[in-house]
Amino acid sequence: MRIPDEERALVAAAQAGDQQAFGGLVRLHQRRAYLVARAIVTVHEDAEDALQDGFVRAFQALDRFDPAQTFGAWLNRIVANAALDLMRRRKVRNTEELSDALGSPFRDPAESAELRQRLTDALAKLPERARSVIVLHDVEGYTHVEIGEMLGIPGGTARSDLHHARQRLRELLKDLRG
Amino acid sequence: MSDELRFPDPSARRGVRDSNALDDRTARLIREAYLPPVASGEAANAYWSALESRIMARVATADPTRGDEGLWSVLERWAQVGLVAAVAIFAVAGVVGRSLGEPEEQVAYESVVQAATPEALSAPAQLITASDKSVQRDAALQYVLSY
Repeated sequence: MRIPDEERALVAAAQAGDQQAFGGLVRLHQRRAYLVARAIVTVHEDAEDALQDGFVRAFQALDRFDPAQTFGAWLNRIVANAALDLMRRRKVRNTEELSDALGSPFRDPAESAELRQRLTDALAKLPERARSVIVLHDVEGYTHVEIGEMLGIPGGTARSDLHHARQRLRELLKDLRG
Repeated sequence: MSDELRFPDPSARRGVRDSNALDDRTARLIREAYLPPVASGEAANAYWSALESRIMARVATADPTRGDEGLWSVLERWAQVGLVAAVAIFAVAGVVGRSLGEPEEQVAYESVVQAATPEALSAPAQLITASDKSVQRDAALQYVLSY
């Protein structure tokens, strides 16, 4: 995979101790990394915490980063780990909170409220890992292998989880599809 | 607005999706649900700038040596904790064992002493009895021999 020159330069400078360069990497990658964290922890505030933890860990481990890799993939694995750690520490988010977290008021008012509600309820009914896998794959476009690396599971397990998650989600949404 | 401040377009990556993937509408709704709760445009830019500042503030105060900690240093720390816990457990077990052991030793001692007392007391009596009998026997023998 081709690594953009800008990113390569920022990584080299950050590895040499330039914090401003690391700030440039934060700016480049924070949005996508946020989505990875959010797919795992589901709650916005937790996603922010995991994102900050992930960037701090990445900064502390910069000397071990191989510049031949893509920084984004490496960072996303670290952020996903931070999100998983957060989930393990908390384990308090119930499905009701998830529905609340997903039901943000500023979304497109033209979208059917019922559809959105059904979707958030259905997502909340999926097991945590299945929900993360389906969001990371079908929404964010990561491959099974990338998801496996992020979540610490074999790529085959991610594929299997995805299959079951889709089946379950379609079952839950079958009367809304069309 | 620069490219940096736009959300990465997932459609490029989603080109590799298989035919069994969720339909676009569902994927879009999920994606919207997972966006940060900020309005679009300038407010969104302000949100990401603020988040970047918070991240960099944490990075600036982060301990740079902590990232070098490997598995062994973590294990070493746990080993130290385990050692302290083991010493504490042994100390407590020793104190408890001693306090529990003392009454048992006392009871055992007393039971031995009590059990031994009648014998100890009867021994001199037997000796006295025995010595009385031997005196009588000696006297009888002297009496017979004197004739």
